[in-house]
Amino acid sequence: MTPEQVELSELERDALTEIVNIGVSRAASSLRKMIGDQVLLSVPSIEVVSQSRAARLISEREVVDLVAVRQDFSGPFSGRALLIFPETNSLELVRAVTGGELSAEEVLEMEHEALAETGNVILNSCLATMANMLRRSLTMTIPEVLRGNGAMLFEVDERGGNGGLVLFLYIDFAVRMRDIRGYIAMLMDIPSLATLKELLDEFIAGVVGDDA
Amino acid sequence: MPELRESLNQDQLRAVLAAAGASGSWDWDIVGERLYVDYRFAELYALPGDDLSAGFETSAFFRAIHPEDRPRIRIAVAGMLAGAALFSKEFRVISPSGAVLWMHGRGQSHLDEDDQPVRFTGLLVDVTERKRTEERLRIAQSAGGVGTFEYSDGFATVSVSSEFCRLLGLHPADRLPVRTINAVLCEGEPLLIPEGSQAAPPDSLGGEFQVCRGEDRERRWIARRGEVLRDADGSGYRLLGVIYDVTYAKLQEAALRDLNDTLEHRVAMEVAERRQAEEALRQAQKMEAVGQLTGGIAHDFNNLLTIIMGSVDMAIRRTESSADPRIRRALDNAMKGAERAAALTHRLLAFSRRQPLDPRAVNVPELLAGMSDLLLRTITEAIAITVDASDEIWTIEADPHQLENALLNLAVNARDAMPEGGALRITARNRSLSDTAAASPTDPGGEIPAGDYVAIDVVDTGTGMDETTLGQVFDPFFTTKEVGKGTGLGLSMVYGFAKQSGGGIQIASRPGAGTCVSLYLPRSIAEAEQSSDQLIASAEMGSPSETILVVEDDDDVRAYTVGALRDLGYGVIEAHDGASALGMLARHEQPIRLLMTDVVMPRMSGSELAFLARERQAGLAVLFTSGYTRDAIMHGGRLDEGVELLPKPFTMKNLASKVRELLDR
Repeated sequence: MTPEQVELSELERDALTEIVNIGVSRAASSLRKMIGDQVLLSVPSIEVVSQSRAARLISEREVVDLVAVRQDFSGPFSGRALLIFPETNSLELVRAVTGGELSAEEVLEMEHEALAETGNVILNSCLATMANMLRRSLTMTIPEVLRGNGAMLFEVDERGGNGGLVLFLYIDFAVRMRDIRGYIAMLMDIPSLATLKELLDEFIAGVVGDDA
Repeated sequence: MPELRESLNQDQLRAVLAAAGASGSWDWDIVGERLYVDYRFAELYALPGDDLSAGFETSAFFRAIHPEDRPRIRIAVAGMLAGAALFSKEFRVISPSGAVLWMHGRGQSHLDEDDQPVRFTGLLVDVTERKRTEERLRIAQSAGGVGTFEYSDGFATVSVSSEFCRLLGLHPADRLPVRTINAVLCEGEPLLIPEGSQAAPPDSLGGEFQVCRGEDRERRWIARRGEVLRDADGSGYRLLGVIYDVTYAKLQEAALRDLNDTLEHRVAMEVAERRQAEEALRQAQKMEAVGQLTGGIAHDFNNLLTIIMGSVDMAIRRTESSADPRIRRALDNAMKGAERAAALTHRLLAFSRRQPLDPRAVNVPELLAGMSDLLLRTITEAIAITVDASDEIWTIEADPHQLENALLNLAVNARDAMPEGGALRITARNRSLSDTAAASPTDPGGEIPAGDYVAIDVVDTGTGMDETTLGQVFDPFFTTKEVGKGTGLGLSMVYGFAKQSGGGIQIASRPGAGTCVSLYLPRSIAEAEQSSDQLIASAEMGSPSETILVVEDDDDVRAYTVGALRDLGYGVIEAHDGASALGMLARHEQPIRLLMTDVVMPRMSGSELAFLARERQAGLAVLFTSGYTRDAIMHGGRLDEGVELLPKPFTMKNLASKVRELLDR
């Protein structure tokens, strides 16, 4: 499914996971400031899959509808970043970030805005960290909130998709004793992924040196 | 951790760490670029332990790590130094003794006010034992194809192994939502994992489930086994179990069951077939036994009848017309009684299919037309008789006398079934059987092989028969008639005749609806002979120059035969067995015109004698007499080619015409 030139090696995957971890850690500290409470974010695994596989991966795990925050990015590698939650989890997240003192109606009213803001913090941190660690710069669009199932979010169409690939990251949130799970997905075309892979190799060479 | 470090002194910290099972701790000063470690860490990494407070170069952190794991850990640490929050890695450390130990390093970064990482602290825990256990478990799972799961009631997710995911065709994960797992079940299957907090705990985890695998939609069978562990206070439970694929076993089981089912079916068929064969064999054996018995009786009986009838015959012929008419009447009655006895023995032989048949090409319409007088005499006027046989009817091959006998028998049966009168119809039609006509309860006459037949139907409008009776009509001595009115040999004789002639019989009847008996006789390729062989009415005389050699082991029969032939004017010499007959044949000066011999004799049979006699005198005419031939001169129920037979008992008239016919040939 995955073309060879963009197949990530174990080490490249580790490096990318680590970079994203830095990003989500930054996002966690930003959120901590917003919420005034301990927020832990971590990325245990990462995968490169096709769009339809990504859609299936999500729908296999999440039976309910999904909510996603979307941001497009461009630079040496371009694509679209998605922060995805099961719909039921999104309200939990909103309650967490709004301090839990709002009524149910208020939470619903706030949901869209709160989600957009949370998504912005997390995705921005991730992308900015990636750009920073890989010594490149990226520009990002403003966040957008989407709802739907896996196939809709990954724009899988009847003709079998456009052959794009998805960098799929599973993230664990721990916010004030609430278990919230979510996913970060980065849709990129093959040239962009190939560029990312090259940049990762540069980064690894810099960090590991003679041990590699 | 910073709080902890500040509030505890080094010794206390050491004690806490040791109690926690830690193998060492570190404190990486990011800003000062120094690594501070405790004595356990130093020991493990073989760092000089004399002045730990001075710290080490940060590169010391990687020194003891297994080379294969080092790049990975370097990347992870680089992430921590750049601001990642958590560090949790497992890696191998080579101890000073050379032993490879698995360590779990857990750490976190400490940020300043500007969110810049300043310190990276953590603990090392020896997980070698756990790693080994995990490895064993992993190999047990992958090699055994067993997936594990653990579920606590009320939770929405289940801890699973990667083998668990693989078995269900799901993407490998440590935790799966309950609904994701249950979604792979085929429709109608019970839940693999209980859903919802209200669900009662299952009694056991035993069970088999059909799943539609997530990855390829393949239908598989999964077995679930395990234990239900209840919490100590009884408020909740945990399910700890395994799943494994049992599709192959299920398929085998199904195939075996299928095999078993068809086996039973096959055995049942086989048994039924065997039962039928046994039934047929029993019937055949019964007929054989009765046949042998009747054949034996008939032989002796016919000899006796020959003597009786011959003597009565002679007495009648020698009785003067002036004699007391009562003598003549008594003799006539004696003759009638003997004739009836002869008819009875004949029937016995017929049903046991031991009568000698002399089949010829027969024109059925002609034969039926010839019988009409006889039928009219036999059947009462209250019954209307119709005989219908078109000229297109094929020629058949059968013994015409026996056929007449059979038809008369059927006609008499029909008459007796219509005591109040009715209609009797005899029709002949051509029938081509493409398949063997099978035996059935309403068709007790047995199978008729495929071929061309003329079917002669004898149909009455009489009382009919029920199925039970139909099943027995061909049994010898079975009769529905009153005692004394029938021998019970009629239909069985007809049946025997039809089978012996290569045909068969079908019978259809319902109580009150009459009976239809169809006699099937095979089509003949030959043209029908003109009925020129009608018995010549008057007794033909012989001359003393025509010498006949009579061979008969029964002295009385021989005496009668010799006497009768001499009365007819023939020259007769006699012998009581084959050997002396051959001697006479050699000694006698005059040529012998005819050898008349019994068939069944001790030592040398009639046919053996005939063969030897013809060797000595070519072209010698031979006439066999027999009450029961026991196949000696018959094959397949028919007389051998060129063999002439005078059945016993015979009257003088029969004898005269048969002998004359042979001598004049």
